[in-house]
Amino acid sequence: MRSLVLAASGDGAQVHLTSQTRIVAAVIAIFFMLLILDLIRRDRLQERYSVIWFVAGLGMLAGAAFPGLLEFVADLMGVRDTNVALFSIVLLLLLGLALNFSVIMSRQAAQITRLAQERAIERAQKQAAEGRNGNSAGEQALEPEEQSFEG
Amino acid sequence: MRTLVFIPAWNEEASVTAVIADVRKSIPGAEILVVDDGSGDATAERAREAGALVASLPFNQGLGAALQTGYLYALRNGYDACAHLDADGQHPAEEVGRLLAEVTAGGADLVIGSRYHAGAVSESGDYEASFSRRIGISVFRFFLTLATRQRFTDTTSGMRAANRRVMALFSQHYSPDFAEIESLQLAVRQGLRVEELPVRMLERAGGTSFLTPVRSAFFIFKGLVVLLVGQFRPRQAEAEQ
Repeated sequence: MRSLVLAASGDGAQVHLTSQTRIVAAVIAIFFMLLILDLIRRDRLQERYSVIWFVAGLGMLAGAAFPGLLEFVADLMGVRDTNVALFSIVLLLLLGLALNFSVIMSRQAAQITRLAQERAIERAQKQAAEGRNGNSAGEQALEPEEQSFEG
Repeated sequence: MRTLVFIPAWNEEASVTAVIADVRKSIPGAEILVVDDGSGDATAERAREAGALVASLPFNQGLGAALQTGYLYALRNGYDACAHLDADGQHPAEEVGRLLAEVTAGGADLVIGSRYHAGAVSESGDYEASFSRRIGISVFRFFLTLATRQRFTDTTSGMRAANRRVMALFSQHYSPDFAEIESLQLAVRQGLRVEELPVRMLERAGGTSFLTPVRSAFFIFKGLVVLLVGQFRPRQAEAEQ
């Protein structure tokens, strides 16, 4: 605890991940990937949407196994505290994922709309075909009323 | 020359019958299609009883999707021209007939019926526009004119007539949220000839406009974003060629 405070207040000194953090991160990453595998196995998650999650899990594992990686990235970002760099990366990753979902959602919304339109059109075409087999659709609906009016 | 008149309708059981009758009287040769946008009432039944074809969307998709359904139906079934009007009785079919005549005469690919164009008159006095609505109208007018370099007066008019080039374009690209404005921008950008004709419109029979000040502010903002994004859309090759 004291060393952390000292490190944080010291000029130019870097704050590193502790080995405890690394172990916890590695365990979480492994469980996370197992969860993804299980979801795929039980058809709750499609493979094509799982790739990005595996990449996230592997990234987490890599960060835990090779702390040098994170420090390198922290240096690139100009961040002294490796933990801050970690949070920033995760935040960006989540932002990217959320955007990715919006894109997928938009595509599916468009597909659903087109499906609904196709179905509506098919039913109208069927109605049109039935109408032409008899009289024209318009007169068919009006005639009975007019006849009963006379009779 | 086969003509389709389609009517997007969402919970319009009270007025749809009269609108269909009006279209049949004023545009005798046209087939009439009601696009029922997931209505919870008897809109589809009323339309069928009145002798119109009915394309029922299984759930409410919004005006843009309903209009696109009409364009897609017209395209697929080989109609030479199509037109659409609102189901609430604000649009006299006689005026729609004039728009169609302009399209079939080859004057333009897409003809918009404008309430505000010089020469347009509205019954029972002026077309009653609230303050927020007037602001919205002028903002859209200004930016659409800027974006298309063509003067438009009634950017949100739901009374239009179109030929097959427009059907091909709109059945592929039609914004579900901001149908009226974006479609005009799109059509002009794709090199189609778009024209406005002054038309007579009626006051809305019942109900109030959905625009409250906050909503109109949001509506305007959204519209501007849509227009801005639209300016960066690629110009595609001719839709049908």
